[in-house]
Amino acid sequence: MERSKKYMNPYLAGILIGVFMIAAYYFSGEGLGASGALKSVVVATTDMVAHDYATEHSYFSARVSDPENPPIKTWLVFEVLGVLVGAIISAAFAGRLKLETIKGPNVTTKTRFITAAIGGLLFGIGSQLGRGCTSGMVMSGMGVLSLSGFIGLMAIFGGGYVLAYFFRKLWI
Amino acid sequence: MKKRDIFLIGLLLFGALLTFLMTSPDEPLDKVTPCKLLEIAATNDKYLSTDELARMMMNNDPTIVLIDLRSKAEFDTFSLQGAINIPLDSILNPKYEEVLNQDIFTNVLYSNSSDKAAKVWLISKRLGYNNNYILRGGLNRWVETILRPKRPLETAVNTEFELYNSRRAASAYFGGGTVSASSTIGDKPSSAPFKRRKKEAAGGGCD
Amino acid sequence: MGPLFPQEIIGEELNILIGFFIGIGFGFLLEAAGFTNTRKLAGVFYGYDFVVLKVFFSAAITSAIGLFIMNQYGIIDMSAIFYPKTFWIPTLVGGLIMAFGFIIGGFCPGTSMCAAVTGKIDAMVFIGGALIGVFFYAYTYEPLWKELRDSGAMGKVNIAEWMGIDSGLFILILTLIAASAFYAVTIIQKKVTAKGDYQI
Repeated sequence: MERSKKYMNPYLAGILIGVFMIAAYYFSGEGLGASGALKSVVVATTDMVAHDYATEHSYFSARVSDPENPPIKTWLVFEVLGVLVGAIISAAFAGRLKLETIKGPNVTTKTRFITAAIGGLLFGIGSQLGRGCTSGMVMSGMGVLSLSGFIGLMAIFGGGYVLAYFFRKLWI
Repeated sequence: MKKRDIFLIGLLLFGALLTFLMTSPDEPLDKVTPCKLLEIAATNDKYLSTDELARMMMNNDPTIVLIDLRSKAEFDTFSLQGAINIPLDSILNPKYEEVLNQDIFTNVLYSNSSDKAAKVWLISKRLGYNNNYILRGGLNRWVETILRPKRPLETAVNTEFELYNSRRAASAYFGGGTVSASSTIGDKPSSAPFKRRKKEAAGGGCD
Repeated sequence: MGPLFPQEIIGEELNILIGFFIGIGFGFLLEAAGFTNTRKLAGVFYGYDFVVLKVFFSAAITSAIGLFIMNQYGIIDMSAIFYPKTFWIPTLVGGLIMAFGFIIGGFCPGTSMCAAVTGKIDAMVFIGGALIGVFFYAYTYEPLWKELRDSGAMGKVNIAEWMGIDSGLFILILTLIAASAFYAVTIIQKKVTAKGDYQI
């Protein structure tokens, strides 16, 4: 697949992401996140279609009751919008902007879609329960040396290595 | 490994070595000079607005500890749900030290206004305790902004508000039992001239 | 004196604008490092591509070093920034659920968003699944998750303090471990890719 430009040096990319993380902490006091935006979308949607339900249930109520802090207008949502724009810019420069499905060599596209959906579902649940995903909890948490970041790291990657063997057909 | 990889990893190692060498032992507590204390007090304010507290309580944040600094009598008459009572004059009592000096919970200090909480915060800072926060405006503002939030705002001027507030605090102090959810606000609510802080320290990455 | 926004040194609009631009940088780098390719991501578990590990640790270490130095010089007040509180039980359980999600779905939320907007159809499906997951969690929050989510509360725990060592020393140890790991995975990757066809 040499049609596209090569990927950036991973260490350099990591260091630069670290610099952006420092900037996020310095300017806004926030870590870099992603799954929080999903939650904002869910909360805002629920508030829109079923406001009464949202105000009565504790998962939503704290976030919809404050008129000055609507769920969709938070820092994280704008940060994630930026992430989308940034990814498009990078892909456009590198010639990787293309509609395609990437999958392991031994699975069908249908299998890939089903596993992607199940994986997404699990990530959706896990990130809410664990108070954040790989970027918002683990990476940003490790950046400030929070114990939770390291617990998350062990759980996600440790768990991944244990499970890798059982799901190897999907990827290799 | 490529040369560039080695260079970048070396850079990380260099930075780590630097942080290691920069680590200095913590200053002893009795070396906290008034000058330093002023700096901490000025730059590092530890206020929590009533809205933030309400939000945390609605979220059932299990790490919050409410500490009522008023007298026992006032505490018994009315207090926030789940609060513990440490009267201002006994905060140095050793039996309360483990409450104030810990790393697990977020202590929210309050009295009728922010006064006592600010004093206790300063003392606790001097002792090197962390995790203590001041409820901005204390119970008065709690009642105004949280218990009676639906009243329409009026354009009360600043001085009127302050007068009203000090009267409230005074009556609570002298009358003791008058601070209760139902009897606090007799007349008009006020458009409190405070700026709503959008967030406390932790906005919440992915959470 | 940072952080600027929580201390009201900058306004909300500017803060959100900065967030947007920081997001652009983050998204650009994720894409440029190859995080939109799900096979590159999964490679970390099978030994044919360790880009995830390299990027992840470099970023965390850089941030830890930078924030530590800024804190030492009083440029940033660490007590006023987002500091994830530790609830070890839900983090562990949630992390394991996410491990399942990662190995089955091949993405995490951040990478899936980058991948979806750059045209990866599998990533769009993943996001759909993730939204359903969050919905499911939200609607079953009170009966199923609430108690678990709040269990194991430890407050704001700094891992170095928790282990009883200086933050500087911890960062140094972490970096040494990471550097050794970087060296080790380079060798592993060479061996694994030499055995079979792992062109990605």
